[in-house]
Amino acid sequence: MSVDNALWRAIGVFRVAALVYAVALAIDSYHRYRHAGVAVAVLVVMAAWTAVTVWAYRRPGYRTWRLVGADVGVTAVCLLATGVVVPEPFRHTGTPTLTAAWVGAPVIVCAVKGGRRWATAAALVLGAIDVALRGALTQNAFTGTVLMLLAGFAVGYLRALARGAEQRMQEAVELEAATRERERLARGIHDGVLQVLALVQRRGAELGGDGAELSRIAGEQEARLRALVGLDGSRPPVTPRAPRQSGGDAVDPVDVVDLRHLLRPLSGARVQLVAPATPIALPARTAAELVAAVGSALDNVRVHAGPDAMAWVLVEQESGSVTVTVRDDGPGMAPGRVAEAAAAGRLGIAQSITGRVRDLGGEVTITTAPARGRGGDARTAAQVGCARVGCAGDGGRRPPDVA
Amino acid sequence: MSAVRVMVVDDHPMWREGVARDLTEAGYQVVAVAGDGAGAVRRAAASRPDVVVLDLHLPDLPGVAVIQGLLPFCARVLVLSASGEQQDVLDAVKAGATGYLVKSAGRAEFLAAVGRTAAGDAVFTPGLAGLVLGEYRRLAEAPRGNGEAVAPSLSDRETEVLRLVAKGLAYRQIAERLVLSHRTVQNHVQNTLRKLQLHNRVELARYAIEQGLDGED
Repeated sequence: MSVDNALWRAIGVFRVAALVYAVALAIDSYHRYRHAGVAVAVLVVMAAWTAVTVWAYRRPGYRTWRLVGADVGVTAVCLLATGVVVPEPFRHTGTPTLTAAWVGAPVIVCAVKGGRRWATAAALVLGAIDVALRGALTQNAFTGTVLMLLAGFAVGYLRALARGAEQRMQEAVELEAATRERERLARGIHDGVLQVLALVQRRGAELGGDGAELSRIAGEQEARLRALVGLDGSRPPVTPRAPRQSGGDAVDPVDVVDLRHLLRPLSGARVQLVAPATPIALPARTAAELVAAVGSALDNVRVHAGPDAMAWVLVEQESGSVTVTVRDDGPGMAPGRVAEAAAAGRLGIAQSITGRVRDLGGEVTITTAPARGRGGDARTAAQVGCARVGCAGDGGRRPPDVA
Repeated sequence: MSAVRVMVVDDHPMWREGVARDLTEAGYQVVAVAGDGAGAVRRAAASRPDVVVLDLHLPDLPGVAVIQGLLPFCARVLVLSASGEQQDVLDAVKAGATGYLVKSAGRAEFLAAVGRTAAGDAVFTPGLAGLVLGEYRRLAEAPRGNGEAVAPSLSDRETEVLRLVAKGLAYRQIAERLVLSHRTVQNHVQNTLRKLQLHNRVELARYAIEQGLDGED
């Protein structure tokens, strides 16, 4: 694991630095030493052990409890050698031990290898030796022990945190890979199913009778599946939904969603969604209201233009505003019908479309034309709803544009 | 006049045969069929079709790569797609396909689309018009780096026509509403596509020069 490797390397760096420090202190205290030869020998052992551990700990296979135990043992012996080298009065009056800060290395090793508890145990053992050497719980010995305890505890805690984080990361990566693979497989299957449905639709229509019915069903399922699969893969909304506050509104107003994803379920065999290839980001509340308005418009199409009418929902984004146009190829309506209906107490377009969009700071235009064209086959009359809605990214509203 | 030569590329044999039969019955000459991208390019080189009817999702190559491979041998590619993934369709059209149709389109609609493609006209569905509109807006609003080609833009009339196509109006209805000839509407639509393809080619060339690919040979 990468964090572990970094920690083991850091121990090596600490040990080398602590060795240099110990040598410097020994030179400084040299005139007080009783057996200078022993002091030099101990420092050589420390240097050799530093080299051995730096080499060994770099390899995960050598990071065994046996080596860690030896580490604590060698360090304890080097620390104890202070009793031979430094005469008792000097020890009691604050002359540093031969190992100095080097003694902290095995404590950190225990923290990385076994966690906080083992680090605490090692720190207590080495701290006890230190205190014994000084003959009393002097401030020097006490400070050294406390520092070792703190270092061991902190590194042990860090290791636990890092391991937890790495494990969660690993799980997330695995989950994502699995999801992606499933999506890839699903795309292939969906494509195949869509192909078959499209073929049934085409052939069925040519057969007539029961075939035509099959064709109609296949067409509906095809449109549904295509809406479900999404037109550009199965990407979720632009940003994940923030956790909802309990008791608050159902939708967080600063959430940003892709309007296309919300409109897609409205499309089908008789309703075509026409949108750009790039996401249309809107505050969630605005998008939800807009989708509701479009839904009302489509309901309206079904009621007034008949079940066979086709409808198109065009979504456009221009700097600062989003325009949604709903058009159908039904017979159209007489001018003033909307106002009449509202006056008669029927809400329809007046409330569910115009009201909603006006609340968002937008505007609705409804145009209709009586059927024109030559002969009876031309059903060209159109009913166009045009909603302009401010889409400031901060969820704010802007004054309505002039449509 | 001899029959229009068509090649059908699709990895589903059932679909491929169905389309080929429809085309033959309607008087087209199906000169080749292929089930993958590499085979399509090879057979197009040998048989030089007038129109390629291409499924975007082939097992071996991405749709854009197949279109680029086909263009030297056949200028007219009609894309058929089952799932109609928007970005794929947009990329295909920018790469040089001149039309796009969902696979569920009826037989008559499909045959008419092949006919129009053969005649050199662009085949626009409302969905494609929406994608093209969106792409022009994206290009207009995207920040441009140094040396990048000036983004193409639509004239007011082109925007108007394209929006009407996106709202599901047929060319004939658009011509009537704007008091234009059918041919003029067709030309406007065609222009929007041509500008986008040209811009795409310029950008590709610029990218190649930037990457030093031009000086290799």
